[in-house]
Amino acid sequence: MAKEQSQLTNGMFTNNPIFVQALGMCPTLATTTSATNGLGMGMATLSVLIMSNIVISLIRKLVPDKIRIPVYIIIIAGFVTMIDLLMHGFLYDLWKTLGLFIPLIVVNCVILGRAEAYASHNGVFKSILDALGMGLGFAGALLLLGSVREILGAGSWFGIPLWGDAFNVFIMILPPGAFITLGLLAATFNWMGISREERKKKKEQAAKKAGETA
Amino acid sequence: MGNYLKIGLTLMAFSIVVALLLASVYTITADPIAMAELNVKLESIKTVLTDPVSGTLLIEESDIPQSQEELNEKIWKEGDSDNLYESSRYNGYCSSPAYKFSLKDSRDAYIFNGASVGYGGYVSIMCSFVEDEGSFELLKLEVLDYSQETPGLGAKIAEKAVKERFFNIPQSGLTAGVIVDKDSGKSPAKTYEEEKTNKKEGIISVSDLMTGATITPRGVANAINTMVEYLEQTIGGDE
Repeated sequence: MAKEQSQLTNGMFTNNPIFVQALGMCPTLATTTSATNGLGMGMATLSVLIMSNIVISLIRKLVPDKIRIPVYIIIIAGFVTMIDLLMHGFLYDLWKTLGLFIPLIVVNCVILGRAEAYASHNGVFKSILDALGMGLGFAGALLLLGSVREILGAGSWFGIPLWGDAFNVFIMILPPGAFITLGLLAATFNWMGISREERKKKKEQAAKKAGETA
Repeated sequence: MGNYLKIGLTLMAFSIVVALLLASVYTITADPIAMAELNVKLESIKTVLTDPVSGTLLIEESDIPQSQEELNEKIWKEGDSDNLYESSRYNGYCSSPAYKFSLKDSRDAYIFNGASVGYGGYVSIMCSFVEDEGSFELLKLEVLDYSQETPGLGAKIAEKAVKERFFNIPQSGLTAGVIVDKDSGKSPAKTYEEEKTNKKEGIISVSDLMTGATITPRGVANAINTMVEYLEQTIGGDE
């Protein structure tokens, strides 16, 4: 169980696709103008990632090595088009806001990256866990970015007004705001990672010393 | 040779399976998508036919179209292509078709879909013009697509407070040509009365609400002008 858990947290925190691996930057920067948009984009990517990981893991032994990338792209593009159609029919407003970025999920390197690096070498259950971890890490990062930008830039969260317009910093909603927020959040994530690492080291050293003196 | 054939066939098999799946999803979602698109349109029509002051519906409840067929009955003018009219002067277009509704008080309302260039691309709007004994008034306006406008700046165009500034433009304002107050050279309107007087000259006060984003409301003004140009040519020519 501990192993499965670490597989989940790997994608969510240790190897977060956005803050640590810096993958899928295009939709990250462009769609996170509000918390709703960030969450919507994250969820769309998460569902595509889970489905493509399942299918690719299932067919991994059937696909000749030479054409594995074209086959993965066909599968991913198929799922993305399905999501696009479903959102168009049932989540019209969100579909309209995300616009072009839904078809662009096809070329999101997180998805192809996980297919190539993980699902094509591992079983279905493990691939689902991996997709969940990475997808939730991606969606969470987008939600976080969207929330920070919406709260600072528009003074609201999920469309709920928090304070008067006078406190809004417009630039947070504009492209520079995306880069600034992303940079600061990535720095925070890395700082947390480094300090955790250091604490671990210190503990080990202390344990070693204690062992030596004993 | 046999190996290449095998690779080709595998790729083909995958493509066929995915294509079949996609086709079935498309068939399932075709109706909901058409419904969603139609609902947005019908909802906008209902909104622009609601009086902005009293909030009452200006047509009979039973007159509101519920389906594509019922909507088609309300078509007033249809163009040969996607567009009914294009204006080079205002860099805008009216899309086809335009609709005509009879109001409860037996006046006629004309509904246009149109667009003109905003900051990042076309800003498309829906407008209702009410005819009263040969003179026209812009009753209401809905902003349909502003996805290319900057969030927090130009995208504020779809906020209620901004849209309201474009409601009830009288004939004198429409013939003078609708412009935003920043382009008029006048200082911004300070009172509601002043805003109303300006509207008679076609000057729309938006600079207090849309600071830093004049180009988007200018696009809306030009889209309105395009519709007025078409109305003047069509109805003016009949008389």
